Amino acid sequence: MSEQDDNAFEMRSRALFQDSVEGLDMRIRSRLTQARSAALEAAATRRPWLFGWKMWTPAAGVTAAAILGVALWVGSPLGHHPASLADPQSNFEDLDLVASSDEGSADAMEMLQDDIDFYDFADKAANPGPAA
Amino acid sequence: MPRFDTLNAAWTVWDNPAPAPEGAVLEYTKELEKFLAEIERRAFRMAQVALRDPDDALDAVQDAMIKLTRSYASRPSAEWRPLFYRILENGIRDLQRRRTVRKRVMTWLPGPKEDPDNEAQDPLDNVADAAPAIPERLMQAQAMQRLEESLRALPARQREAFMLRNFEGMDVADTAHAMGCSEGSVKTHYSRAVHALRAQLGEVW
Repeated sequence: MSEQDDNAFEMRSRALFQDSVEGLDMRIRSRLTQARSAALEAAATRRPWLFGWKMWTPAAGVTAAAILGVALWVGSPLGHHPASLADPQSNFEDLDLVASSDEGSADAMEMLQDDIDFYDFADKAANPGPAA
Repeated sequence: MPRFDTLNAAWTVWDNPAPAPEGAVLEYTKELEKFLAEIERRAFRMAQVALRDPDDALDAVQDAMIKLTRSYASRPSAEWRPLFYRILENGIRDLQRRRTVRKRVMTWLPGPKEDPDNEAQDPLDNVADAAPAIPERLMQAQAMQRLEESLRALPARQREAFMLRNFEGMDVADTAHAMGCSEGSVKTHYSRAVHALRAQLGEVW
């Protein structure tokens, strides 16, 4: 196969391809125009996504650390949370009860004070000191 | 990439990005539109040669257009063409991979099997064209069809090199940029593609 034949082949294939491009039907042409418009619109409203991703990373880290901290604090069997010994689920229920501000439990802090002896007892039960 | 002393400062910038000067945006938008209009039909045909399905080819071209305008619009316009074809070729490869996976999954599932050669049978495809077919045009269409089939049989890198150099008329340097390889590799791929195609199509083609 000579170089001249190669050149003839290249010219013929290029011409055929060009013919096929020019022979594209209206449906395809119209869809390509739509695609171009959509792309240009996207360029006009583009946002710095990479920059945004980098900015989200520390925020996500802080959030994850906060969640982990709360989970450890609430769920720790070593902390001053005797209810956790019985049932970890009840920690969240108690938290709900204390944090709630509806009418039925408006005096949550007062209730805590009323039952202070109980909590003192429960605390001692959870953290028994050395036997006397 | 700017650095910020506080997270709040970063949030402020994020919420209120400084707009590019209006004149500059208008200028490169016009240039981009001209570039895309000039390239889109050839890009579509090249994607169609690789993917066969016109809808997949349209999707690949549209994705490439969006990625180019979103990420590289501010680059010098001379870089757009190789960048565009690099994005397009990656998109084509992704679609081909997805197809292969889908085909593998389908063979494990019960039910009627998908025949890739018979898919998307539009009844209108079988309706005869109102205009009488000109024999010469018909012969050209057949020759192009044979070329497309032979191109599909080539290794992907050879096909890519042939289409970029021959169909798109890119020089060796731009083709190397688009393909992410050396100029020497482009020459090798192209030369092998030409010889393989000529061997497949024969002297009479």
